[in-house]
Amino acid sequence: MHDGRLGVAGLTKVFQTKEGPVVAVDDVHLDVAAGEFFSLLGPSGCGKTTTLRMIAGLESSTSGSITFGGRDLAPLPSAARNLGMVFQSYALFPHLTVLENAAYGLRVRRTPDSHTRERVMRLLDVLGLGGLHGRYPSDLSGGQQQRVSIARALAYEPDMFLLDEPLANLDAKLRVQMREEIRRIQKELGVLALYVTHDQEEAMSVSDRLGIFNRGRLMQVGAPTEIYRNPTSLFVADFIGKINFFPAVFEAGGSARLAGDWSVAPATIHPLGADEAESFKLGSKGVVAVRPEHLRLQRNHDGAVGIPGRVRRKLFLGSVTRYFVTCDASLSEVIVETPRPIDEVGEGDGVNLSFDGTDGLGYTRGARP
Amino acid sequence: MTTKSVALPPTKPRRAKRDLFPVFVGLITGAVLVLLLVYPIGKALLSSFVQQGDALAIENLTLANFGRFITSPLYKSALLNSIVVALATTALATLLALPAAYAMARVKMPFKNLLMSLSVIPLIAPPFIGAYSWVLLLGRRGIVTVFLQENLGITLPSIFGPFGIILALSLSYFPFVFLIVQGALAAADPYIEESAAIAGAKGWRILRTITFPLVAPSIASGALVVFIRALGNVGVPSVLGGDYYVLPTLILFQVEGFFNLNGAAAIAVVNVLLVLAFLLIVRRFSGKKRYVTLTGTTQRSKQNDSLGARVFANAYVWGLMALALVPQAMVVFSSFAERWAGSLLPTRYGLGNYRLILGNVLEPIINSVWLAGVATLLALAFGTLTAYVSLRRRFPGKWLLDLTIMLPFVLPGIVTGVAYLTTFNSGPIVLTGTAVLLVFGYFVRRLAYAFRSVSASIGQVDPQLEEASTICGATWGRTMRRVTLPLIAPGMLAGGILVFSTLIGELSVTIMLFSGKTKTVSIAIFEYLTSHRIAPASAMGTVVIVITLLLVFLASRLLGKSMAEMFR
Repeated sequence: MHDGRLGVAGLTKVFQTKEGPVVAVDDVHLDVAAGEFFSLLGPSGCGKTTTLRMIAGLESSTSGSITFGGRDLAPLPSAARNLGMVFQSYALFPHLTVLENAAYGLRVRRTPDSHTRERVMRLLDVLGLGGLHGRYPSDLSGGQQQRVSIARALAYEPDMFLLDEPLANLDAKLRVQMREEIRRIQKELGVLALYVTHDQEEAMSVSDRLGIFNRGRLMQVGAPTEIYRNPTSLFVADFIGKINFFPAVFEAGGSARLAGDWSVAPATIHPLGADEAESFKLGSKGVVAVRPEHLRLQRNHDGAVGIPGRVRRKLFLGSVTRYFVTCDASLSEVIVETPRPIDEVGEGDGVNLSFDGTDGLGYTRGARP
Repeated sequence: MTTKSVALPPTKPRRAKRDLFPVFVGLITGAVLVLLLVYPIGKALLSSFVQQGDALAIENLTLANFGRFITSPLYKSALLNSIVVALATTALATLLALPAAYAMARVKMPFKNLLMSLSVIPLIAPPFIGAYSWVLLLGRRGIVTVFLQENLGITLPSIFGPFGIILALSLSYFPFVFLIVQGALAAADPYIEESAAIAGAKGWRILRTITFPLVAPSIASGALVVFIRALGNVGVPSVLGGDYYVLPTLILFQVEGFFNLNGAAAIAVVNVLLVLAFLLIVRRFSGKKRYVTLTGTTQRSKQNDSLGARVFANAYVWGLMALALVPQAMVVFSSFAERWAGSLLPTRYGLGNYRLILGNVLEPIINSVWLAGVATLLALAFGTLTAYVSLRRRFPGKWLLDLTIMLPFVLPGIVTGVAYLTTFNSGPIVLTGTAVLLVFGYFVRRLAYAFRSVSASIGQVDPQLEEASTICGATWGRTMRRVTLPLIAPGMLAGGILVFSTLIGELSVTIMLFSGKTKTVSIAIFEYLTSHRIAPASAMGTVVIVITLLLVFLASRLLGKSMAEMFR
């Protein structure tokens, strides 16, 4: 009996185009445990779907290996890998009924008809499709079609459950409901799930762990909280949630000097890539990143410490109050969120921004990973 | 994580498992196309440089066959006549079609769907079957001729010769231009014309500077089809030509009169050269312009509903359709005429003509049905295979496959016939007079149609459906059987019916390749017509027209498309 882990090592995909070779997936390493819900998250065109399709066997890899339970998947064609997959377009067979769609994989496996029917009907029931088994996909709503495609993917107990942007075609309310349902079923069946999405909220809420992709590279892997609290690169910090970047000069002792001649000692310091430093026009400086909820606002007065700025807009949103602060010493407009509105700070007021060093994330060139 | 792990052993680049399916299909396709297309064309080309009776050898190569286009008055006039007929037909057909296309696309009219379906009929019914109707109407003692002469004193030119041929061909082929231009106009983004109007342009100026340039490529491709058809048509000039020869009838004359295959091949080569010349001229004027905007919004273009426009549009379109359907209507009408001699109209009606052909009609119909049927099945099977590979797989040399399959589109049928006759009459493969040769000829003639209609169906099937089936564990064969084929089946069936119905009345290949045992219904009608036995010809013609119309109607129902869309 194998351990049911998915292992991806050095996976690379190079597409040959008229303009020359394009590296779509660049040396990706992954290790996903049995029963884990793992998301591949990133902006469009970052290589996450190509990675999934290589794991599915729908795309060949240029180099690298994919193993499941220690077994190399390379010699196995897609059909022999025992996978279940949900496509963005659902890809339901329009000429087959709901029951026939869901039973397709079992029929292929030559499961006895009575057994097939019983299994599939139960699965359809679990998915809230009871009574719809005789309908054709064109008679179903988007959400129902989605459920049928999930039933089709899971009916034959696949080793892996692959989902490629499964919720992209649903409206916002249904998306939240479906993603909870997908996770519930996945946990009940204990099947390893790989979930591709560009929606960070979706990925953060359903995944046990997730991997953030950018330009074909896997930037960081971790649990949602870990990635939110400790992004190891400016890209991940910027991509996940809202964050403010303050250029800073890092000193030998690990403290960072920011504008307003104010120094903090960030809890973590990560290396800053040369390309990132260049794309943010940092010169030789590093960056201290702070989440909006960790920033403090104070009306500008004599002796106030922190980075000076001016409130452009104050937005009362109920559970939080959000301030947009124009600040010369930040890479872009600063966002501050406080649980309660601060009465003495209004629009047009000069303010000082500060935060605890332990809430600051430092990025500087030459830092050790 | 993202940093490269030094501890991992280097993974050597692994070649993806080679997908042998396209190679397999490529080889079969290549073999079939070489045997049935490239080899015959090559051999016919070669034998056009050899004189009749000489062996195919380097030392026998001569330009003598082509020299006859300079020395022989018959050859010279046939070449000139062909150019005149083809150009005049193209011009007349285009001129007839354009106002009708514009009216249908831009003027509010009732019964548009009916009109669209009617416009397809001249394309379905073989033109030679209706050609003799013009003799009955406009001949020396035709109904119209007599009427005009006695009441108005007008004398018409003889129907035998260029007048009749150009008239019959134009009215048969104008729908090619009409359908494609009407489609382009209907699909054109109405905002383009509206923005021209907002910019201050008036009606005629918009038509000239915006609308016409937008549909010019469509007009060109429609005209090209008409030109190729007119240049290659053998039936109409045989019926209406008299001693006015064009290249296809000259080919027929050389083959039937002298069995001079080398001479016929040379004429065929000249025929193809004319097609290529016209193709190049058209490309030069419209080749580089591609207007992607044509398939833009779903917004329907504004319909002109002024009274004047509607009266004119209705009168013109209905008048044109009526005129175009005169030959078919006359065939059906005269099939019920039992006695029609020396009088303006028949003196007795009945089913006598049908009784007359009863004994003779069965064998040709059976021949036509099974020859066309086998060829259709072959074309469909082969067309599906190649269309699938061409759309779903990437492989080097794909453009060559697409190009070769489409090649018969620009080769007149009689040229294919001549090439087959020359090639398979002697040499390693001898098939002259066999049904196999006819089936091959039909197959090659219609492969492009089958390929196109199946391609359109496969294009409608989301490739993710096939991937989903594969992920579920299905093999390629099972995916094909359970998913792809069921989804493209209606398209295949409709394409098959279309191919089949147009093969039932096929004449230009058949006339070169048939033998006593494989006489088809089109040959039977042709023989009746050329021996002026109109009564049985019209009865048999009616049978063919009715069968083909019913089949095409059935196909359009199956596909849920209008009859007009199937021919566009």
